[in-house]
This record gives sequence, structure tokens and C-alpha cells, in this order.
Amino acid sequence: MDVCTFEKVGIRGTNIVVLGVEKKSVAKLQDERTVRKICALDDHVCMAFAGLTADARVVINRARVECQSHKLTVEDPVTVEYITRFIATLKQKYTQSNGRRPFGISALIVGFDDDGISRLYQTDPSGTYHAWKANAIGRSAKTVREFLEKNYTEDAIASDSEAIKLAIKALLEVVQSGGKNIELAIIRRNQPLKMFSAKEVELYVTEIEKEKEEAEKKKSKKSV
Amino acid sequence: MAATFFGEVVKAPCRAGTEDEEEEEEGRRETPEDREVRLQLARKREVRLLRRQTKTSLEVSLLEKYPCSKFIIAIGNNAVAFLSSFVMNSGVWEEVGCAKLWNEWCRTTDTTHLSSTEAFCVFYHLKSNPSVFLCQCSCYVAEDQQYQWLEKNMQITILTCRHVTDYKTSESTGSLPSPFLRALKTQNFKDSACCPLLEQPNIVHDLPAAVLSYCQVWKIPAILYLCYTDVMKLDLITVEAFKPILSTRSLKGLVKNIPQSTEILKKLMTTNEIQSNIYT
Repeated sequence: MDVCTFEKVGIRGTNIVVLGVEKKSVAKLQDERTVRKICALDDHVCMAFAGLTADARVVINRARVECQSHKLTVEDPVTVEYITRFIATLKQKYTQSNGRRPFGISALIVGFDDDGISRLYQTDPSGTYHAWKANAIGRSAKTVREFLEKNYTEDAIASDSEAIKLAIKALLEVVQSGGKNIELAIIRRNQPLKMFSAKEVELYVTEIEKEKEEAEKKKSKKSV
Repeated sequence: MAATFFGEVVKAPCRAGTEDEEEEEEGRRETPEDREVRLQLARKREVRLLRRQTKTSLEVSLLEKYPCSKFIIAIGNNAVAFLSSFVMNSGVWEEVGCAKLWNEWCRTTDTTHLSSTEAFCVFYHLKSNPSVFLCQCSCYVAEDQQYQWLEKNMQITILTCRHVTDYKTSESTGSLPSPFLRALKTQNFKDSACCPLLEQPNIVHDLPAAVLSYCQVWKIPAILYLCYTDVMKLDLITVEAFKPILSTRSLKGLVKNIPQSTEILKKLMTTNEIQSNIYT
């Protein structure tokens, strides 16, 4: 159930996974850093969520503990599927107990497994989870998903920068005020989570706008 | 009453209290204080028709003054935002009056200083075609205040919103494409709606239902467009869900500048944004 108005997009590239979220405008006196939408669960897995912030905090804490517990017990980092299953099982338990309510969050979980393959999973309050190549959650998820269905090609995700641009383009379809309201995070194979600064996002946005202009010029030349 | 052994009928003792008839009557009879309170409340809840700028009252009924061929009413903040951005900026609309009212849903108990969003239903007419009327109603109109100002020779369009949890369907609610439109029309409305009709057993409530019922009884062609949404506060996606209505006969000719309207709508949204920290 998507009550949240802010979009999140996840894309699984060949060598990179990208998570893009729509930043909501914070009140003037509020510290922006306390409004985190993308969270690392471990060095190689991160998650973006849509829904009740407090519920997300609880789920993320439990997931983080589980990641470390797994590493200590089995001496291997969790696979993305394992931690997704853990979170989904946790959510399902709360739909089948008395006196509790379900967690009001949908999550996009991305990361790389030990075998080097990128993964993207989506969970919802019912406790179901599915693997995706690219997905969006939030109120305009339908519009974003349609855009992704049209533009997700093997070429688009082959290069890292193309995958990042695809995520930004998908968000720009529905985000109202452009690049300054987009937050981006990536994980490259065998590298930790990297959060993009506003400047880096702006660079990509300007590049996308240039490409758009050039494509339009070509079109008008062809029609003339 | 009970019968005794000896055949006489006696009054059975009542543990609920004395059944003295005189006392009962007194209890039923209104004390002067009660009457005063009731009159005060009735005065507070009176619907007053005013000329907005001058705040003087309109002596004559609105529609006796101005003949009307088309009447569009928006009830609720999303429907009002839709009309403000798409219809009102495409022509020159002149305010002809407003209905000022107070009821228990208003956030303030002060009936003299009510804000415009809380207590007014504002009426406009199109300067270039004064028989086209528009009403913006963003306050809640209680059942006893549903003011009847309708005439016979016209077509009425009502726009309103409802929360999607009120929508009853056999489909899974997770797959509902909210926000979405449904329509309900009177028998005399011959045109087709731009969206599916409201399925059974769903019903319409409050002022929109009152207006539609009145139209059905008096054989006035009217159509109600109901937007089921998951966000009841002012929301861009909900307002945009009303867009299919722009192509219908009800609003044809009244809407010219759609890209500009989208800009105005965005501005309305940003000025009204209340940031809540509960959701991310």
C-alpha cells in the first residue's frame, strides 16, 4: 500500500546497482541529515523504503543485526536474497499475530552477492518479495514503471553511467522540481555504498538535458 | 400495570423512578435556557448568502437574479484546485456571491471571523457568457444546511472526492489504480460520462448526493464525477485524475490553456504543502 508521495527507483545494472529517491523538502529548521531514505544494511547491500519512517527504522535495525549475526555464525556475508527473505518473513509475522499491525513500508533492496551478480528485490507490507530488473515504489510508481519498461534495455544497463542516467531519467518523469530533489546511491561490485552529492547529481542531470536537446535537434533536422 | 389476585388492576411499582405524569411532562417541556441554546445554535448554523467583496447580503435568490444554463460545482479541496487551475484561468470569471456557513466541522467556534476555506461556498459566473455558473465549495456542508439553489433549465456538473477506502469492490483493493474517476448521472442527462459509472453497492454522500438527488427529482440533467483517492489532502495526482472531464461537453469551451493550467496547479501545490515527518 503506497501512502507515501515520494518516488523511489531501483535499477539493476550489469556491474552496478542504483537506488534513486525523491527528496522531500524539509522544514527550514529541520536538520536534513536526519531524513535518510537510503540505508546501508551491510557493506554490499542497501535499501530504500517508502512508507512509515518509524516502521522502517525498526525493520532496518533488525536487518542490520541479522546481517552481522549471519557473518559471525556462517563467516559469510548475507546474500541479498537471504536478507530480503528475512525482512519479508519479519513483515509476514506481523500480519499474522494478534495485537500487532503490519509494518507500513515497501522496500527496495539492492546489492551484490558473492558470486558477483547484482540483485534487486522489492518487499511489501504483506511480506511477499520479488526479484526485479528495475522497479519503482511510491504513488506514481505506475508511471515510472512504464517508463522503465520502455527504456530498460541491455545497452542501457551495460555501462555504469547509463544505468545511473536511466534511474535519474525515470525519477525526472514524476519528480516536480528536477535534479535538486533527487538523491542517488550506487553500489559497484566489491565496493561499498556510495551516496551521490547534490553536485554529482546535477552533473548527470545537465548531461541528460544536453542529450535530450541533441535528440530533439536531430528530430527536427530529420523532419525538415 | 399488574393484575392482583382480587381482579383489580394496580400500578406495578417501577424501580426506574416515580412514574408521576406531571413530572414527565415537566421533563419534556423545554426550559427557557434550552430554548435559548437551541435558537443560538440555529442562528449559528444559518446559511447566509453574501456579496463577497462588500459582505452585504444578497436579498434575492442567486438564480432569480441571474439565469443559468450550465452549473459546475466543485466540492472538496482537490476538486476546487482542479477547477481553479484548469477552468478558472481559461476565462474571466466574476464572483457573484457566496454562501457563508458554520457547522461543527469548522475548526473554530467563532462564527464571525471564519476563514475563506472554512466557511464559504463561492459562486462565479463567466463574464463572456453569464449563464455559465461555477461554485467552489471547500467547506463541509451539513445535512440541514444543504442549501437548495437550483433552477430547471440547465445542466449541472458536480466534482468531488472520496477516500478509496469507501470504495466497495469485489476486486482486490491492492490492484485499484487510485486515484480513479467514477460517474453518476440523473435520468435526464443524455450525454455519456468520460469514465465508468459508479458500481453498486457504492453510494454518494453529503452535499454532492443532495444536489444530485434534487436534480433527479426535478428532472434536471446532472452528472457527478467522483474521484476515489488515497490522499484526501490537496494532492497533484488526485487533481490530475479529474483531467478526463476536460474533454466532456460539461466543460467544453471553458478550458483553453492546459499547459498553463498545469503550471498554476503546481504553484497551488507548493504553496499548500504541509510536510509531515511520518512518511518518507
